[in-house]
Amino acid sequence: MFWQQVVNGVTLGSTYALIALGYTLIFGVLNIVNMAHGEIFMFGAFAGLVLATKFNLNIFLAMAGAMLAGAVLGYLMERLALRPLRRRASSHLAPLISTIGVAIFLESLALRLFGPQAQSFPPVFPGGLLDFGMFKISYVQIMILAISFGLMLVLRFGLAKTRLGKSIRTTAENIETAGLLGINTGKIIVFTVMLASGLGAVAGVLVGLAFNAVEPTMGVTMGFKGLAVLILGGLGNITGAMVGGLILGVAEVFTVAYGASSYRDAVAFGLIIFLLFLRPQGLFGSQEQQGGR
Amino acid sequence: MDFWSNPYYQQIAMFIIINAILGISIYLTLSTGQLSLGNAGFMSIGAYTSALLTIKAGFPIYLSIPVGGLAACLMATVIGIPTTRLQGIYLAIATLGFGEVVRVIILNLKITNGALGLSGIPSIGVSIGKQISAMGFGNGAFGLTVQQLGNFSVIVILLMVLAFFVFFTMRLNNSRIGRAFAAIKADDHAAEVSGINTTAYKLLAFFLGAFVAGIAGGLAAHITFYIGPKDFAYHRAVEILLFAVLGGSNVVWGPLLGSVILTSLPEILRSAAVYREMIYGALLVVMMIFRPEGLLSEETIRLWKNKLSRNTPAKAVDVTRRTS
Amino acid sequence: MISTMKKWTVGVMVGMMALSVVGCGNDSKPAATGGAPANAASAKIGVISYLSGGGAAYGEAIRQGLELARDEINAQGKTKIELVFEDSKGEKNEAINATNKLIHKDNVVAIIGPTLSGEMFAVGPITNQAGVPIMGTSTTAEGVTDIGDFVFRNALPESLAIPHAVKKAKEKYGLKKVAIMYSNNNDWAVSGFKTFEKSLKDNGIETITIETFADKDTDFSAQLTKIATLKPDAIMVASLYQEAALILKKAREIGINVPVVGNNGFNSPQLIKSAGKAADGSIMASPWFPGKEDANVKKFVAAYKERFKKEPDQFAAQAYDALKIIASALEKSGSNSDRKKLRDSLATIKDFPGVTGKFAFDAQRNPAMDVTVLIVKDGQFIELK
Repeated sequence: MFWQQVVNGVTLGSTYALIALGYTLIFGVLNIVNMAHGEIFMFGAFAGLVLATKFNLNIFLAMAGAMLAGAVLGYLMERLALRPLRRRASSHLAPLISTIGVAIFLESLALRLFGPQAQSFPPVFPGGLLDFGMFKISYVQIMILAISFGLMLVLRFGLAKTRLGKSIRTTAENIETAGLLGINTGKIIVFTVMLASGLGAVAGVLVGLAFNAVEPTMGVTMGFKGLAVLILGGLGNITGAMVGGLILGVAEVFTVAYGASSYRDAVAFGLIIFLLFLRPQGLFGSQEQQGGR
Repeated sequence: MDFWSNPYYQQIAMFIIINAILGISIYLTLSTGQLSLGNAGFMSIGAYTSALLTIKAGFPIYLSIPVGGLAACLMATVIGIPTTRLQGIYLAIATLGFGEVVRVIILNLKITNGALGLSGIPSIGVSIGKQISAMGFGNGAFGLTVQQLGNFSVIVILLMVLAFFVFFTMRLNNSRIGRAFAAIKADDHAAEVSGINTTAYKLLAFFLGAFVAGIAGGLAAHITFYIGPKDFAYHRAVEILLFAVLGGSNVVWGPLLGSVILTSLPEILRSAAVYREMIYGALLVVMMIFRPEGLLSEETIRLWKNKLSRNTPAKAVDVTRRTS
Repeated sequence: MISTMKKWTVGVMVGMMALSVVGCGNDSKPAATGGAPANAASAKIGVISYLSGGGAAYGEAIRQGLELARDEINAQGKTKIELVFEDSKGEKNEAINATNKLIHKDNVVAIIGPTLSGEMFAVGPITNQAGVPIMGTSTTAEGVTDIGDFVFRNALPESLAIPHAVKKAKEKYGLKKVAIMYSNNNDWAVSGFKTFEKSLKDNGIETITIETFADKDTDFSAQLTKIATLKPDAIMVASLYQEAALILKKAREIGINVPVVGNNGFNSPQLIKSAGKAADGSIMASPWFPGKEDANVKKFVAAYKERFKKEPDQFAAQAYDALKIIASALEKSGSNSDRKKLRDSLATIKDFPGVTGKFAFDAQRNPAMDVTVLIVKDGQFIELK
């Protein structure tokens, strides 16, 4: 059972990691936690669902479509809820509260649009299960792992090597200096938000596929777990988000497997409350970033 | 107007007052510029502790509620201590997480009865009603039934608790502690540099907020016969936040106004019930963009004060005087 | 100090003004006894249901069952029913406000609902004190009717249904050791779990593991993997149909092929729709299933399908019966507005032909009904003989 649970944990963890990536990207560049990220994730799942069922697109096209939808949603959020706040230089709590508002709005909108019933994707790989003796893994799980890791690697590479990636990192480091260096920080911010939201949307489709259920409240718990991973890995740290997500997934699954399944949902936050005592900057964060106002 | 005697309005009034107390709890933490998203969690600790003390240990209600508040305060140390020395975002997320952890623990402990919740909690109104009957007014007095009199007494008691907290907060704001809070809220670093022990003050504000939320929880438990884990979910924490954000996060009257509006509005707009959450969400965003300090700000209060103190023109000129 | 006092005056005035805004509505004078104005042409019945939010699917089904029943009753002409719907959003305070409004503002003669047992524990005492009969159609937790004489329910408690399912499953499959899974943040599922535990003990079946999850959970791989290694003869599941469907699908996917015995939550066409083939072989006990060989049931299913374009589930069926039972009790009591008379009339209901079966209230105002054990075969509920 041990290896099977490891596989379960890593699969779950890779979805957490994907969500955390979205949070950490936005935090890095805007210095705010986007509390609405979980809802964008959920809308992405629905977008993918609608594309796959109403328009009968194949799953990969549906995922791409969902990514686009997520990016658009992210753009709207940035434009309508966040940019006006940057102009007014309001308190550092204002964007946080604003994104909470966006989250609540999106969740209830989804309930009205899609109804409360859970819906499923059409089966992608019917009956596909690979048996390796010590553990079994389904094709869907393999696809999820592949896409999650693939996206994470592309992101890392992109941020490190491409010009755009470097601009993003510079803006994240210090927005004024970046501006002085000639980077169009406004455009970078918009792009980063769209990228993060797109990633969140794809994560939504993957999770919807993995667990066979897409419903309007799926963003709330996932969002919370993503927040936990954000702190676990370190605010603004990409590697931290990836590793943190995997750790959380495995920890949760092992809590169920070898401990009490009823405490599963407390693992995420129990971990970070514990971590806050010892190492508040997270596993990979650098010492006490007082990241700009 | 029969609203003092109609139990429908009496109950709403009770909810308004409790929400006002909750609003003050988040106001206290906000007065140092910190956001606590876990006040629903503290409320639940206060509620469960006091309810269990009343049901299982036979404590009198007026004793179990303050103990509930203290229990909430105690739990506040768990997250307060590590996070108050960090950036505000840590406290926000940690309190959010704390609320969730509390919820899961409540679901799993035998003593809290898990998802089934605690029912049959002695209600303040009913106890008072019994005493009224015992005093010989079994058929009511002043044209009101025993139940209505009981409810009315509960409202009076709640108002007294609210008044106490408001008074306390106003005195706090005018004291040295209050000025330290304001300094920290205005600029954390500057305050630290000028010698204020920001961590200690932030912790104090956080404790106070938790205590008040715990008391509100205890009171809430003893007026509705039943509490369950669902009553203290994340959405409740956001609702409490909304009281302060809408009503005004800089003045103690703000959350009071916020709670009056947000508790009575759903009753007035029952037909729009399905859109309520959407409106709340949009409201948060709009308020942050156009009036982040909330409806009641210090200027608004000063304006009204000047208008009301027509007789003393000297006060109207005294612009530097601190309002609360 | 004077300015403080001025602040106080302002504050109190603001407070009073606010409260009076709330108070200004044209409400009829709340009667101290009795309730609605005498000799009302139609009976006003309040409904508190979970109409928006996470559990809206269940509240909606209840509403549809009620609407269908109301229209049929009104068409018959003997009693006229007017339903006043209030949304509780599954929240206790909302349910309390809704209850107070229905009793003291709308002056209803009775209340149907609320959807959740937790809500009932909060509003039951209120209606009981006010002398308004209340009927729960989906509140199956233990102790609901103990709240008071005015509290009724036609929702068959788990404690009556589950033992039948367990016993039958043991007979058919010779169960010796089983695993239990239940949703531990749902009071009704927790009740179901407790009943499962007791039934298993009474039947001499060993429980090898107990796993929990939460409503709206989607990942059950950890729990099911653990259960698979322990190789039980069956799995007992107490859950709503959404999670149940996911559990069934995942279990079959990882190769768990033993029978699954479910609680009331399994009794829904939605389970079969979501789980597909994985639902086959699931066992549950219920007084009602859509395929029952009964003219009443067939008529109801057909009417419901035509109007709402989907098959009715147990929530709808029990709500439908609840309104018909109340209508019958109203007729017998001879008054459309006397709450006490209605209560007394309800308590005497016997041999009522409902779609959920022959119905009667027992001494505790709980349903006294026969229960059938069902199994899912080829996507249909059939009786397990």
